[in-house]
Amino acid sequence: MIPSMAPAPADQAETTTAAAAPARNAGRAAITKLSGHRLFASPGAVAGLVWLAALVTASVTAPLWLPFKTEDQDFTAVLSGPTAAHWLGTDELGRDILSRIFAAAAGTLGTSMLTVIVGVGLGTILAMLAAGAGGRAEGVISRVTEVMMSLPGTVIILAVIGAVGTNIPVVMAILGILMSAGIYRVILGQAKSLQSQLYVDAAKVDGASPLRISLRHVLPGLANTIVVQAALIFAVGMLIQAGLAFIGFGPPIPQPSWGGMIQGASQHVYDAPWMMVPTGAVLALTVLSANAIGNALGKAPNAAAPHLPSTAARRQRAKAVAAIAAAPVHVTKDGAPDGETAVGTLSVRNLSVGVDSPGAGNGVRLVTDVSLDVEQGTVLGLVGESGCGKTMTALSLLGLLPSGVSVTGGQILWNGRNLAATTDKDMEAVRGREIALISQEPMRALDPMFTVGYQLTATIRRLRGMGKGEARKEALSLLEKVGIVDAAQILKTYPHQISGGMAQRVAIALALSGNPKLLVADEPTTALDVTVQAEILSLLRALVKDTGMSVVMVTHDLGVVADICDQVAVMYAGQVVENGRTAAILDSPRHPYTLALLAADPHANHADSMPERLATISGQVPQPKDWPAGCRFAARCQFAGSACLEPVPLLPSGAGEGLVRCVKADQLAVEGMDWLATDVPASRLLEITPKQTLLTEKDMA
Amino acid sequence: MALFITKRLLMALATVLVVAVLAFLLVHAMPGSPGAVSLGAGASQEAIDAVNQRMGWNDPLFAQFCTWLGSAIQGDLGISLIDGRSVSADLASRLPVTASLAAGATILSAVLGIGLGVTAAVRGGALDQAIGGFVGLLVALPAFWVGVLFVYLFAVQSSIFPATGYVPFEVSPQDWALSLALPVITLAVGGAAFIARQTRASMLEALQQEHIRTLRATATPTWKILYVHALRYASLPIVAGIALQFIGLFGGSVIAEQLFAMPGLGQAVQTSVSTHDAPAVQGVVVIATVVVVAVNLVLELATKFLDPKLRAS
Repeated sequence: MIPSMAPAPADQAETTTAAAAPARNAGRAAITKLSGHRLFASPGAVAGLVWLAALVTASVTAPLWLPFKTEDQDFTAVLSGPTAAHWLGTDELGRDILSRIFAAAAGTLGTSMLTVIVGVGLGTILAMLAAGAGGRAEGVISRVTEVMMSLPGTVIILAVIGAVGTNIPVVMAILGILMSAGIYRVILGQAKSLQSQLYVDAAKVDGASPLRISLRHVLPGLANTIVVQAALIFAVGMLIQAGLAFIGFGPPIPQPSWGGMIQGASQHVYDAPWMMVPTGAVLALTVLSANAIGNALGKAPNAAAPHLPSTAARRQRAKAVAAIAAAPVHVTKDGAPDGETAVGTLSVRNLSVGVDSPGAGNGVRLVTDVSLDVEQGTVLGLVGESGCGKTMTALSLLGLLPSGVSVTGGQILWNGRNLAATTDKDMEAVRGREIALISQEPMRALDPMFTVGYQLTATIRRLRGMGKGEARKEALSLLEKVGIVDAAQILKTYPHQISGGMAQRVAIALALSGNPKLLVADEPTTALDVTVQAEILSLLRALVKDTGMSVVMVTHDLGVVADICDQVAVMYAGQVVENGRTAAILDSPRHPYTLALLAADPHANHADSMPERLATISGQVPQPKDWPAGCRFAARCQFAGSACLEPVPLLPSGAGEGLVRCVKADQLAVEGMDWLATDVPASRLLEITPKQTLLTEKDMA
Repeated sequence: MALFITKRLLMALATVLVVAVLAFLLVHAMPGSPGAVSLGAGASQEAIDAVNQRMGWNDPLFAQFCTWLGSAIQGDLGISLIDGRSVSADLASRLPVTASLAAGATILSAVLGIGLGVTAAVRGGALDQAIGGFVGLLVALPAFWVGVLFVYLFAVQSSIFPATGYVPFEVSPQDWALSLALPVITLAVGGAAFIARQTRASMLEALQQEHIRTLRATATPTWKILYVHALRYASLPIVAGIALQFIGLFGGSVIAEQLFAMPGLGQAVQTSVSTHDAPAVQGVVVIATVVVVAVNLVLELATKFLDPKLRAS
């Protein structure tokens, strides 16, 4: 009898969206383990647990300590407020409110648990059945629950009461059945995603029975959601039960109930308003407690950061920008002098990007001391494994770092202007008009709710100040420019109606609509088919030639680098480890990491000289918080020596204007050593023990 | 799309039919035969049997149901056992009361809820936490308790609104609005909290989508990203949430009507269940289902219309 039979949505995205729009989220429901840590990390949930525990204890032991019997009438104190004798006052018959609240508690909590057991139990079983069986069975169960959810549950419960009378346990159990439909829908998505896990497939191949799979592999993964739903349903059950008692369908008359007591109080709102306070407060606190527990457990642990930060986050960002603007400019000897201006050039100087820390100190650093130069009409490749900071570097050029990450130092000089110290408002004049972005997944880069035509013309009108008709003409010509033949037709489509390659062309057209001088391309071909990749690359090459714009191309594909880039900067663990002309670096790499990347790339080895076995790089890119003070690649390097434990500067590599960050670079070049595909002889390896790498940069500072 | 609508219409019809059967069975499980209920205590067994015989109570259940369904389709839901009035006529006079209540409360909770949810998601920080706490409190407060509080504040302490009663729109539009104010606000409190949570979560999800970054990269003004693109993306789950809310509020009106003495469907359910008035219970269950299912259908079609993927297919 609260405004919904459905559980109140938990205070986060996971459960809520799943409840209301299960289709959209079904596959990606995050599987979170039941964790006491999350529960105890939330002060609200801890308070809720304490309150519920106290309430249960107090109500179970009520006969032992209650000052009055529930029916004791004190005619000397009718409708009294709190007194020494009656701590919470009395009702119209002089009965002690405190005693009645606690006498009623056990029944209220117990019968609400009944709703939880029936509702969550039935919902879970149905969801596991549907997820296990799939196909028609799932369709039928889902249809039935849809019908159940679209019923006026309250009215039906009242009709049930008409048939079975005010037998509260039965009524609450039937309520559980009605509510199981909503629980089913929440759990189904997760059960399905668990059923599709590889280890479940493996168990099926091993011949495990469906029942065993459900109990052993699916149920444990659902535990957290089940507990969350149980807590929320418990709260709803209590509210509905109290509501029923309020309208006169509570337990038989002499028995106290919270809803009935509030009903009694509502009769005396004119002469004794106090009466409704204690019972209402106890009921609300109990519901609040159950909700707090459910919400704490249901909180998605790793919610993605919004691409448009909240007002509060933007204010934080503005402070960081102001700090950068105020910081004294520190120019290293390899950096260009401050203020040198050349139209269409980008000079990144000693750029650092880090996670915002709530305290005063610095958070984890993601990019450190990166310097890059892009001249007009050239293409710079940023190469490296995932997690090396290349995307963060690229996004910082547009001021589009995700929420919670910001530039912590250095300069981004665009035509001599420091973009790192430019406010978000002023960046709006730069984005699209001077620097544009195309991203990895073209399908997700376009707004699914609007047609290609709307997105393109709105952008052209905004960036070029054109009228509607003119913008449409321009949109057509842009689409033709990016190689779309039936441009007029494409304008009318929604993004989901076109292919990935087509979408990337549209995204490029969108990026070109403001005639930018610099294009930041974040792995623009990674998500595409191989043949489409080549088309998109040649399109980009043609655009650079025709328009004279520069490109910063983020990629992990050395083939792309060889194909399109004039300059290349190899990044590893947040640093540039080697840069220079593409030809020079691909022909004679100096940094062991570059050597390793080339040795590991099947395309970089010619067919005739293809080794029997491709090289690998053992280990993984270290997490930003584990970066050592010395060479960050040392732990994985075949050539590492004791000199590598000291911080390594970026030095001229001897090959053209290139720079390399390796103390052994010259030695390697002279000796002509290759990255070995076979197991490395121990004699070439330096023992890098964890102890030695423990000395982090933070300690040095 | 036409196929989709046809399928949904058939589903809706099936739902109503299932509920009709369910209500029929429940009514038959009620204690006391129609004769006993209508003649009251002290009636002779012969008289009771005669009434039961006349009403077809002893016929096979299936035959009884078909008879009921036949007249129900023609708009005749039978005669009340208590006062002998036509159930259809009674419910027809009550429907506008509940409809104004539920519609008013749904609209008010949608406006408040979307406002609060969007503000929380967009502003973030301390304001987000404050709204989150406030909304959490509203979810936990029982509607009837809030209603009593409002009566105390606005009708007892200051007589801005009438405490109880309903004035039909035809009599006086102004008094109609005043008489609806407290019950509508009472019902909307919980509804607004529910929709606020749904909206906040959906807005945050929308803002995590990659196309938001594309919009920023093309210098789209912040207000436009938020209120045109993100809100548009978030609108699907929000509308679905509002549909769920309407079902709840329609049921929740039982409380509001009891508390504010409104002659609506909720009050009819409450009295007919208490008095075991079988035709009235069955009639009101079916009518409530028809209304809820119909509104749901409309909102579902609205959701489909909002989603280009579904609209195209």
